[in-house]
Amino acid sequence: MNRKKILLVDDSSTILMMEKFILRNGPYDLVTAANGEEGVRKASEHLPDLILLDVIMPKMGGFEACRLIRSTESTSQIPIIMVTTRGEAANVEAGWANGCTDYVTKPINSIELLAKVRNFLGDGAAEVLQ
Amino acid sequence: MSAEEKNRSYITVVREELQQYTQGLLRENEKLRAMATALESDKRRLELEIIEARVVLDQQEVLRRKMESFEAARTEMLTEVTRLVQARDAATRELDLLRTRIGDVERENETYAAQYHQIENQSSNLSNLYVASYQLHASVERGTVLSTIQEIVVNLIGSEEVAIFELDGDAREFRLSSSFGVDRMRLKSFKAGSGPIGKCLVGGEVFVNDEVAGGEDKLTACVPLKIGERVIGAILVFRLLEHKQGLQAVDHELFELLSIHASTALYCANLHNSVANTPLAVLG
Repeated sequence: MNRKKILLVDDSSTILMMEKFILRNGPYDLVTAANGEEGVRKASEHLPDLILLDVIMPKMGGFEACRLIRSTESTSQIPIIMVTTRGEAANVEAGWANGCTDYVTKPINSIELLAKVRNFLGDGAAEVLQ
Repeated sequence: MSAEEKNRSYITVVREELQQYTQGLLRENEKLRAMATALESDKRRLELEIIEARVVLDQQEVLRRKMESFEAARTEMLTEVTRLVQARDAATRELDLLRTRIGDVERENETYAAQYHQIENQSSNLSNLYVASYQLHASVERGTVLSTIQEIVVNLIGSEEVAIFELDGDAREFRLSSSFGVDRMRLKSFKAGSGPIGKCLVGGEVFVNDEVAGGEDKLTACVPLKIGERVIGAILVFRLLEHKQGLQAVDHELFELLSIHASTALYCANLHNSVANTPLAVLG
């Protein structure tokens, strides 16, 4: 099975645990980071296939982390899903402006998140839903 | 008249008669020849007609054979058409059966899909509850427990306006211990048993406003923190996130879980805090 690597970046251990729970049965290797700075570093180290990135975090927020990941050659093409409590247009627009690929809102809906992950990671992820 | 003359006359008569007879014969002969010629002509014509008739007969025979051949082909085709009609009827019956089976399978699929969706929702809800209880009991540090309660409300319930109160030592007043997104001065404290919230907490039951929609500036839930039947605090949840379309069953479960697990976690953290701050000599 072709396993994919997903980087989960969130300062909330509750959200990280939730995301791990949702993705635990899929063909994924999960890497976590507790803030934007660590997220940018781990993105370069692990070169994941997908990044789930929280917006509001200490040290470095999600938008800045997103910009840095996009500006680094080795990580510039990695799809980034922003995870945000703010679903309003302005916030989503800011996400697009900073280079995110998609977004999900909190509280995380597991079916929605899985569908989006599958959308980016292809057929392998479909096995999660079957 | 002498005998000679008589003879001559007789001969003459006979000669004339003979000549007449001969001429009659010649004329008759001529007639017969003409008739023979006509008959010959008729014979040739008839022979031609016979030849033509034979050709016609031959053509007729060819046509008859062709007709027989066509008839045989028609019979064969009719048999084939009958066979095809039977095959078509069989195929139609099979198609109907397959359609029925496809319909059954589709209905079965829909049932499985609905069951899958239901299981996925249940799994998701259980995950939420597990994560919440795991996180609440992951630490005995008071600050961590309080921030975990906030995280649960923000990330699992979906509200960025939450206040956590604890009942003071003499059980008269609920005092604000921690909050997120609310005016701390306005919600500094409230008296036990008085005011809408204070009265709500007397019964020790979770109050949930199911009518509230995302973004509405209203009290969404008042969750008593209970140790047994004793209320030791409360969690007030106000405005839900804009995109949250009201409360769901799992939110009620989370409120119930918070009512018990958040209170025990907070109680343990407070005990840990007091023990940690107690000099070792006192502890013996």
